[in-house]
Amino acid sequence: MAAGPPGPTATPGAGRSAVAPAQVADTAPVTGEGVAAGGARAGATGAGKAIAGRALKGMVDIPEIGIVLAVVLAFVVFASINPLVASVSELQNLGVDLAGFGILAIGESFTIITGGIDLSPGSLTAFFCVISAWLLATAHLPVLLVFVVTVLFGALWGLWHGFLITRLGIAPFVATLVTFIFAAGANEAIAPNPIPFANTTFLAVAGSNVARVPVAVLVLVAIALVAWFFLERTYVGREIYAVGGNREAARLAGIPTARRTVTAYMVSGACAGVVGIIVASHLTSGTADSVSGWELIAIAAAVIGGVSLAGGQGRVVGVVAGAALLVVLRDGLVAVNVNAYYQSMVVGVVLLVAIVLDRFRARRLERSGGSTKGVPTARAGRESDAAAAGAPLPGLASLGGPEASSEEAQPKQPAY
Amino acid sequence: MAAPGSTVAAAADAGEELVLTGVSKQYGSTVVLDVAHLVLRRGEVVALAGENGAGKSTMMGIVSGAVQADSGTVSVCGRVLHGGPLEAQRLGVAMVSQEFPLVGQLSVAENLLLGKRPGGNRALVDRKALDAEARRMLQRVGLQVSTRRRVDMLAVGQRQLLEIAKALGHEPVVLILDEPTSALAEAESKRVLEIAREHAASGGIVVFVGHRMHEVLAVADRVVVLRNGRVVADMPAREATEARMVRAMVGRELEVLHLDGAAGTAGTPAFEARRLCAANLGPVDLEVGAGEVVGVAGLMGAGRSRLLHVLAGAIPATSGEMSLDGARYSPRSTRDAVAAGVGLVPEDRKTQALLLDSPIRWNATLAVARRVAWRRLVLTPRRDRAAAAGIVAAASVRCRTPEQTARSLSGGNQQRLVFGRWMAVGPHLLLLDEPTRGVDVGAKAEIYKLVAEQRRKGMAILVASSELEELLTICDRIVVMRRGRIAATLARAEFSKERVIAAAALDSGARL
Repeated sequence: MAAGPPGPTATPGAGRSAVAPAQVADTAPVTGEGVAAGGARAGATGAGKAIAGRALKGMVDIPEIGIVLAVVLAFVVFASINPLVASVSELQNLGVDLAGFGILAIGESFTIITGGIDLSPGSLTAFFCVISAWLLATAHLPVLLVFVVTVLFGALWGLWHGFLITRLGIAPFVATLVTFIFAAGANEAIAPNPIPFANTTFLAVAGSNVARVPVAVLVLVAIALVAWFFLERTYVGREIYAVGGNREAARLAGIPTARRTVTAYMVSGACAGVVGIIVASHLTSGTADSVSGWELIAIAAAVIGGVSLAGGQGRVVGVVAGAALLVVLRDGLVAVNVNAYYQSMVVGVVLLVAIVLDRFRARRLERSGGSTKGVPTARAGRESDAAAAGAPLPGLASLGGPEASSEEAQPKQPAY
Repeated sequence: MAAPGSTVAAAADAGEELVLTGVSKQYGSTVVLDVAHLVLRRGEVVALAGENGAGKSTMMGIVSGAVQADSGTVSVCGRVLHGGPLEAQRLGVAMVSQEFPLVGQLSVAENLLLGKRPGGNRALVDRKALDAEARRMLQRVGLQVSTRRRVDMLAVGQRQLLEIAKALGHEPVVLILDEPTSALAEAESKRVLEIAREHAASGGIVVFVGHRMHEVLAVADRVVVLRNGRVVADMPAREATEARMVRAMVGRELEVLHLDGAAGTAGTPAFEARRLCAANLGPVDLEVGAGEVVGVAGLMGAGRSRLLHVLAGAIPATSGEMSLDGARYSPRSTRDAVAAGVGLVPEDRKTQALLLDSPIRWNATLAVARRVAWRRLVLTPRRDRAAAAGIVAAASVRCRTPEQTARSLSGGNQQRLVFGRWMAVGPHLLLLDEPTRGVDVGAKAEIYKLVAEQRRKGMAILVASSELEELLTICDRIVVMRRGRIAATLARAEFSKERVIAAAALDSGARL
C-alpha cells in the first residue's frame, strides 16, 4: 500500500493531537502562516491582513492542515495563559472529552457523507449511557457482554433509521428527530435517578491510562483508523461517498444505494453506543441527563473538518481534527476562566469561519473550473489540489499528511 | 444619433444597431469569446451558429447582460451597455431562453406581467387590467389560452410561445431566441419563425440560435458562425448551405463513419425481450444481436428512455421475459443488471451519471470498484489509480490528471468518461440514452467511433436518440417506438428519415 511508514506513526496523531502540542508549546516554533491561519480560525486578532490573506490561500489548498494548525495554535494560546492546560492530567481529561466528541463526529460524518443527517447521536449517547449502566448494575450482565450489547443496540437503532429513510422514504432529518425526542424521554424513564456501578473494567474505559494515554483515546484512535480504512480504502466506502455525491448516478452504476445508506446510519448508531459507554464510565454511573446538544457538536465538528452537508465529501482526519478544535476551545476557555456564554459564542464564530472558508474555496474552484455554474458543494477538487502540491494520494494525504506536518515539519523551521 | 465613441471601428456605426466591439471573455485560461467587431442591423434576423462551447451562449449572455464581458463594449442603438440584465432590458434587449423560466404556479397573465402593475400604481392587483394587457400580449404571438390558466397546465409549445410573448412585452429592439423551437412540433415551430420575421420586419433585430439547419436557413437573413469564441464566417443566408455551415463550425471535414463487417452475427441474439411490459411500456418484443447496434427512435414521451431503464433494472418490469446470452435475465435492481453485464449510459450525465465534485478517478471506477478492489474488498490506491488511468486512456478522456473533478471536464469528455466506466465493466449489452446530447460535433464523431469499436468487439448495443441523423449513421437496425410500443422496425437498407418519422408520428401526429 502506498500509505507507507508514516501512516501508522502519524495516525495516532489524530488522537494525540491534544498531546502533541505539548511538545510544540515549549519551543513554540509556529510559522507566521500558522499564526495567521489559526488566528483567523480562533477569532483572535493580531496578524496582519496580508499574512492572513496568504494564509487563507494556503489553507484553501489542503483544508485539513488549516484545522490542525488552528488546534495547535489554540492550544498554545491557552497553555501560555494557563500552563496547567499542558499538564498531563489536563491533557488526559482533554483526551477523554475528545474521544467522546470525536467518535460521535465520525459516526455523524458517515451519515452526512451519504447526503443525510443524524440528529439522534446526542440523545442516543445519553440513552446508551443509561442502558449500559442498567445492563451491568441491574441486569448483571458480564461487563464485556455489556459493551457488545450496547454497541449492537446502537447499530440496530441505526438500522431502524435506515429502514425509515430508505424503505419508507422519510427524510433523514425527520426520521432521526423522532429518536432525538424519543430517546431523551426514554432515558428519564429508565433512570429517574443515576444508576451507579463499580465495575473496574467498565470504569477503566475513561478512568485508566496506558502509557499515560487514556483508554478512551485509544478507542478513538482505533475507531478513527477503522473508519478511515472503511471509508477510504474499501469499495463499500467509495460507494458510500458515491451515494452522497449523486444518488441517482450511483444507483444507475449498479450500487445498492439503500444498503449503503443503512450502513451509514448503523455506524452512527454504533458510535453513539460506544460514546454512551465512555460517558457512563466517566461519570461512574448511568445518568439520564449526562449529555445534551452533542449531536450538534458532532455535526459542527464534521462541518469544520470539511464534511460537506451536501454529501459526498469529507475525510475522517478532518472530522477528528474538527472535534479536536472544538474540544480544545471548550476546555481551554474553561481553563482560562472565560464565561460559559462566551464559550458558545466562540464555537459559533469558529463554525462561521469554517463555513465561510469552505465557500471561499468553492468559489475559487468555480473560477478556475471554467464552465462550472453554481457549485453546490464545496470541497471539490481537493484531491487535485493535493496532487498538485505533490502530496501522496489519497492514502497519506488523508491521514499522515496534515498530522505529520504538524509534528515533523515544524521542528525543522528555523528557530527565531 | 451619437456614435458609441469608445473604440476604433465604432466611428462608422450609426445608432440603429447592435454593435459588439472587442468583446472577450475568459473562464480560467480558456478564451470562450473573442469578437473583434460585429454589427447587427435593424430589420435583420441573424442566425448564430456554432458547436457547443463555440461561444454562442456566452455571447448571448453578454448581450443580455447576464454575463459580464472581460473587455470590449456592447452598444444598442448607440447606447453602451453597462451592468446587468435589467440594464440590458432598459436598452431594449430581451432574451427567450431556459435561463429565465416561467413561474409554474402563477397564471398566464401573472407570468406575462411579472413585476409590472397595469391599471395604475395601486397596492392591490387590478385583475381586469392585468387580463386585458395579457390578452393583448398573447395576441401578438397568436397564442390562444385563458389568461387565468396556471402555467404548469400548459403544453411545452404553449409555454414557449408564452415566453416569447413575455419577451416581446418589454418592447425590445433586440430579440434573442435561444433554441426556441427545440421542443416544438412543426406547426408551433413555424409560428415561432413567423414571429421572428415579423419582429425584424417591424424594425427589430433578431438573434436566432437553432440546431435545425433548415429552420435556420429559412428564417435568417444572415448567418454568423462562431468557432472557439471567434467569428469564423459571416454570410448572407442565401449563400449559406448546410455543408458550408458545418465546415465553418467544425473547421475540418468530419470523418464519415462506415459500418464495417456483418451486422449482428446470426444465431441466438445476445439480448432478447418477449412481451416485456412495465408501467407505460409495452408489450415490447426486441432482439439485439452480438455486434449489432440497434437504434430506438420515437417522439418525446414514446418510451425510449423508459425501455432502456427497464432493461437496465432501473425501472421494474411488470411482465414478460428477457434473456441475455441465452440465459434468463430478470434484473430486480441496477445491481443485478450490472452483475449480469448490462450497462446504461444515461441521458443526462450531470444528474444521472457523474459525481461532479469528485475526482475523475472515482467516476471512472464507479461501476467496477468492487472488481478493482483487492479480494473484492480493499480498494488500494495503486489498484484504484491504475484502473482509473486505464479507463481514462481507453475512452481517451482528455484531462490534466485523474484527480481533477468531473465537473471540470467538457461535455464530450464527461460523456466519454461515462462510456469508459461501462467499457471497463465489459457489458454484454450496452444501453446508450442520447449518447451525444450536449456534446459538440467533433466530440460526437469520437463517441461514434467508440460505439463502432465496441460493435466490432461483438458487444450488443441499444441506442436511444432523438437525433435521427445519429441513428441513421451508427445503427444496423432501427426500432421506432410509439406510445410505449415498437411501431416499426427498419433494417439498414430501408433507412430513411421519412420512414422513421412516419412510423413515429403516425397516429399521435394525426391527433395533435
